[in-house]
Amino acid sequence: MDAVEKANSERQKKWTKDQKVGEGTYAVVYRGREVSTGRKVAIKKIKVSQFKDGLDMSAIREVKYLRELQHQNVIELLDVFSSKTNLNLVLEFLDTDLEMIIKDRTLVFLPADIKSWMAMTFRGLEYCHRNFILHRDLKPNNLLVASDGQLKLADFGLARDFADPGYKMTCQVITRWYRPPELLFGSRYYSAAVDIWSVGCIFAELMLRTPYLPGESDMDQLKTTFRALGTPTEEEWPGHTKLPDYVPVGQFPKTPLRDLFTAASADTLNLLSKCLVYEPRKRIGAKEALNHPYFFALPNPSHPSKLPKSSNMASTRALEEVDGNVDQNVAGPAVKAAAPNRLKRKLNSPGDELASRSIARRLDFSQPKQP
Amino acid sequence: MATDFWASSHYKRWIVDRATLRQARADDLLYVDDPEYLDFLAIFFANVISKLGKKLLLRQRVIATATVFFRRFYLKNSYCETDPFIVIAACCYVAAKAEESPAHIKNVVTEARSLFSSENYGIKHFPSDNSKLAEMEFYLVDDLECDLTIFHPYRTLMTLCRKEGTSDDDDAEAGELGVGIESGPRYWGNGDGQLELQEGALQMAWFIINDTYRSELCLLYPPHLIAIAAIYLTLVLHVPTRATIQAQSQAEPETPTLQPRRRSSRQASNASAPSNINQKKSNQDIIGFFAELNVSMPLIATIAQEIISLYALWDRYKEDGNVETAKNSFPAQTASPYTPGTGSKRTLSGTSRSGSLNSGSGGETPIEGGEDNEDNVVTPAILMALLMKMKENRAADVAHPASGRPVAVNKMLERTQLSG
Repeated sequence: MDAVEKANSERQKKWTKDQKVGEGTYAVVYRGREVSTGRKVAIKKIKVSQFKDGLDMSAIREVKYLRELQHQNVIELLDVFSSKTNLNLVLEFLDTDLEMIIKDRTLVFLPADIKSWMAMTFRGLEYCHRNFILHRDLKPNNLLVASDGQLKLADFGLARDFADPGYKMTCQVITRWYRPPELLFGSRYYSAAVDIWSVGCIFAELMLRTPYLPGESDMDQLKTTFRALGTPTEEEWPGHTKLPDYVPVGQFPKTPLRDLFTAASADTLNLLSKCLVYEPRKRIGAKEALNHPYFFALPNPSHPSKLPKSSNMASTRALEEVDGNVDQNVAGPAVKAAAPNRLKRKLNSPGDELASRSIARRLDFSQPKQP
Repeated sequence: MATDFWASSHYKRWIVDRATLRQARADDLLYVDDPEYLDFLAIFFANVISKLGKKLLLRQRVIATATVFFRRFYLKNSYCETDPFIVIAACCYVAAKAEESPAHIKNVVTEARSLFSSENYGIKHFPSDNSKLAEMEFYLVDDLECDLTIFHPYRTLMTLCRKEGTSDDDDAEAGELGVGIESGPRYWGNGDGQLELQEGALQMAWFIINDTYRSELCLLYPPHLIAIAAIYLTLVLHVPTRATIQAQSQAEPETPTLQPRRRSSRQASNASAPSNINQKKSNQDIIGFFAELNVSMPLIATIAQEIISLYALWDRYKEDGNVETAKNSFPAQTASPYTPGTGSKRTLSGTSRSGSLNSGSGGETPIEGGEDNEDNVVTPAILMALLMKMKENRAADVAHPASGRPVAVNKMLERTQLSG
């Protein structure tokens, strides 16, 4: 055994795998522990044993970015080791995700709670954008919540560096309900603004307790978006009719956000509307959002430890939950494997909330990414 | 991950010292007569990576990333115990994916096979099967410890310098990036903005950076220092630019030419005041610009020296003329590049910054130093034979080790066997 292997086997001994909690196209997830401290971790084993087509692009992306990112509001990759012919990622263990919390009807959200989650989301996102990384798959399901209440951005399987100017990126990213109109229109040169739109949708969902723009197809997504926010005019969003996949989807009038979000403060609606500006260049940036008056007005954001969370974290039904929800038949470089979803899903799922989760079961989260 | 180098895995885990490099080559050293051959191999392998990358239509930055992966892999492995050619293929394959321009595995296998079987290398046994490359990819990613974000000097170069006559602001870029991203305050330079270089000079700096990947500099020094060293060398080696600087320093008698770097910032700002409207260059205080970069100048000088040593070595290496290098555009010389060249000046004919398409040097042979003689010349054929010999001797030693206990020849093979 040479020095390299010795070092690796030492790293391997630091962690133990307990039980398997989920399986995806490119990874199997185990619950595990750090041997010396007993600290709970999630171990994501990347399957490469068949050596057929090389490592999945999502695996490469996830590993590439998580190795570099270190922030309170981004999931932490604790270690990497190889066992036999598998690559193992040791991730911090997170109890639940924002989707679970939103769907848990026993919980009541105060405006201060929503502000706290939004602040943590924007902090994590600002860190990514500051480092020129686009997340490209923000949704409540990918915002994990630790036992101390800290919210963390997870699932970097679709993340990438900002392209150099002039280099195209795929528009087949971001789960449909959280996808901004420029991507639906096929824009290949986009920016951090795509993530901001997703955060805007999440913001609205936290207030509504149901997805804000639930389109049933890409076409319907545009319609749903325009029905809610009005069809963009050339003046509002210059040049959008020239985008590659532009199609007219009908004229819808603008309705004030106030009509739907009756209880929200003026600051809240102002920030929300700035996240959902059609023209990507005019959409608010993460840093700017953090300086928005909303975060300085009363009520102050709740302390993370005081945030509402599902009472029943431990679950043995995690696998069934996952299976109902994830499409396995996805492939292609731009497509996210199911595994990252599973990672989170297995970590939580209050088993007694099945009835209220029926909406989620109808959704196919991975479909929007099919080319 | 483009901004914070100091928090990156590149800085924290992959900048090594010379001792580590020596240690990494310890096994290989047993099987070569002259340690210098290992430096030739470093040039040779980088050329192979570059050729394969070009066949796969990878951008220069991707090729650079693949080269860094290769160097990092051989920090932990030795040439004589592995097959560098499959490692090269895997490096290109992983780099393409890590830099978001994926190539299909089948395509990589096909191109690698066709390149490696060419007469230069004569490798007939490169596996045609995807699984071998996929397996190597796994070992590679494992030995890279999953650190796939690589910083390159190119970005520093483009941040510090711009082509003469272009405007200082990056409107086009900002438009592409959209809101929310600022380049942040600039902590470098004398506050006068970017250094303006003539097009040929900027390109030369770019090509010098390309050339640094032929050595192990990318493991030894942070990329921004390599970029600055490349700019520094360009100012000396690019004839028109050097002439301008010389004219400039002669025009300013208050500045001692012999100790240009010791000018105070006050003098620098005086010098940057427009003294000659016709000569655009002289508006710029290049030396002041350097002096106020917050980097260690002795370190830059060291790196520049190492780059020059690389060129000296490279002069004795002969490959077909397709390998492009900044070397081809240096003024003809007799001894060292520092000697002012009086002979014919060669200028770069290409215009692409990537330097991937316009080699323009197809017919040109690299300039030979005066000390060259035919016995000293190293060719790919010699190196291929050397690699073969190293591997054979290693295998023989391993089969009959001093300890009497046979060891698996191929570490990769051994690991695969272990796993079942």
